[in-house]
Amino acid sequence: MNFITENLDIAMFLVLAAALLRGYPVTFTLAGVATIFAGIGALLGAFDTALLGALSQRLFGIMTNQVLIAIPLFVFMGIVLERSQLAEELLEEMGRLFGSMRGGLAVSVVVVGALLAASTGIVGATVITMALIALPAMLRNGYSKPLAAGTVCTAGTLGQIIPPSTLLIILSEVMSSAYQQAQFEQGKFSVETISVGQTFSAALLPGLVLVMLYILYILALAWLKPDRAPAMRREVAEPVSTRQLLRVLLPPIFLIVAVLGSIVGGVATPTEAASVGAVGALLLATYRRDHDSRGASLLAIAALAGIVVLASSTSIRLQRSDADVGVWLLAALGAGLVAVVAWGIWRAVRHAAREGYLGVVNTRTMSVSSMIFGTIIGASIFSLVFRGLGGDKRIEHLVDAMPGGATGALVFVMVLIFLLGFILDFVEISVILLPIVVPALIVMGHDPIWLAVLIAINLQTSFLTPPFGFSLFYLRGAAPSEITTGDIYRGVIPFIALQAIGVSLIWLVPGIATWLPSVMFGH
Amino acid sequence: MMTDWAERLDAVNRWCGLTVRWLALAMVLLQFAIVIMRYLFGVSYVFLGEGVLYMHAALFMLGAGYTLLVDEHVRVDILYSRADEAGRARVNVAGAVLLLIPSILLLLWVSWPYVRNSVSILEGAISVGGIQASFLLKSLIPAFCLLLLIQGVACLLRDLARLERRQ
Repeated sequence: MNFITENLDIAMFLVLAAALLRGYPVTFTLAGVATIFAGIGALLGAFDTALLGALSQRLFGIMTNQVLIAIPLFVFMGIVLERSQLAEELLEEMGRLFGSMRGGLAVSVVVVGALLAASTGIVGATVITMALIALPAMLRNGYSKPLAAGTVCTAGTLGQIIPPSTLLIILSEVMSSAYQQAQFEQGKFSVETISVGQTFSAALLPGLVLVMLYILYILALAWLKPDRAPAMRREVAEPVSTRQLLRVLLPPIFLIVAVLGSIVGGVATPTEAASVGAVGALLLATYRRDHDSRGASLLAIAALAGIVVLASSTSIRLQRSDADVGVWLLAALGAGLVAVVAWGIWRAVRHAAREGYLGVVNTRTMSVSSMIFGTIIGASIFSLVFRGLGGDKRIEHLVDAMPGGATGALVFVMVLIFLLGFILDFVEISVILLPIVVPALIVMGHDPIWLAVLIAINLQTSFLTPPFGFSLFYLRGAAPSEITTGDIYRGVIPFIALQAIGVSLIWLVPGIATWLPSVMFGH
Repeated sequence: MMTDWAERLDAVNRWCGLTVRWLALAMVLLQFAIVIMRYLFGVSYVFLGEGVLYMHAALFMLGAGYTLLVDEHVRVDILYSRADEAGRARVNVAGAVLLLIPSILLLLWVSWPYVRNSVSILEGAISVGGIQASFLLKSLIPAFCLLLLIQGVACLLRDLARLERRQ
């Protein structure tokens, strides 16, 4: 009997893994398994049901979390951009730009993946679009199937490591509270926190390092084994004009500079920047889709850019009593720009409603948010019961008992996250495991921001690890039938190895992660 | 018969989802307005920020049932995608009976005193200058449970009907 009550936490985890495999929605599987084990634990006297009282407060905490509000706004922005066919055009132009060199099509997929990651950050949409457009193009040109599949899968997951991303927002929130807890344990009472801006800026260079690693790998492979990644035939690869290139590159670059720049620069919070990005995306989508009145859309976009410049260079304080004529003139200029943008938004919304995609964007934003937050809720119910059954103590002991001190403990946690990544998604790992292990790691002396980046790359890899990597599912759903699941699995293995190299690089050279936040935020 | 009831129950979440989804656009626009006011004119109001928060919370709490209706809660579909209609129906029946419905009932039960206390005193703002209605925010918890329960039962009825048809 004792054996059972002492090992309920392990049983709970095994049952979760088995239940997830059946395919019932993850959210309710997490909550349901927790409910069953809370019941069993209560009957056997191993679980204190009073703990469940904390659930309401936890739920309220999730609803009122200021940081997480950025998620639906970024989702909205991403879905609008997806609807504007930005990805399709980028793939086409980049394919023409790089196609005529060996491995060029695969390189263009990685570059487009990185651009989309920095402007939208939705893994599923990116993988599906690339699977529908780039994958057939690569196969037509005689690329090896595993290489083509692996490249598309991996490039799609860049959305999670290159900011802005849902993964980094949730991770930042979890790391920040773990950091605070660690400082309390160390007896510090003026605690520091970690902002999403810091996490974003920390992940930026490592994300680019990964992009470079993928590209180097593809080029090396194409050079050593040309038959796996041949160049496009000349007559197919017509050269691309600078004008065309600028036309497709400017919109994402404009959004990346405005949104990412303001967050990483510490000017705006992610929520604020996301709303500007979402409005910008609406205006851009209208510019790209409504061919009859491009001038009007362009005017609104220019006005929005004007507002960004004006707002970042001056501050018009109308509430101050010493406001003079100059301030009022600036305010009038600002009001004029706002009027133009408001008019642009009105036109964009009307156009989107007429074309019928406004409803789709709203519905998708709602269902993606419900899915993400549902998983957070399910995972926090699971984590509450798991802790109640003593699972947190068991893991803490394991971390403390690891030989090799701080480094040994970190290696253990990284391996644990990697292994859990085979069966769980980043949300569950962040909500269930990280609050248990991260405070101990920080107390041992690891830098929280550096730690966040290492964990982020590890979690990004969980999208790739068979059998449960979400990127693999999306590709499977959208790939032509000549690509077998075996091709996909074989294709991602080298990229998983590249992820490991990326983690090692950042481990050995922490500056890759910590330099930018230290310059921007003085951490 | 069972599918008739399932469709009647579906209608609740369809209506709710298709109404609530407009909060997505609304929160984008309100947040944008807040940014303009703050960075361009240096004015800010706590209650506007909380307005975005209320919309955000309502969006995912009241949208959860609709998301279940359109089957967009993420699944680990390595086996599920290969299963036939009956196999999927069996997974969904078992999931609804063993996982979804019990956990939602538990959540409803443990959160009830918390929500009732808040509503009975019409609990005010989260922070000074905010919207005087955090009891509405807390009421989202039972609403979330109720919508999921309705949709859980609707899906259960439809899956049972599917299994019955096959026999």
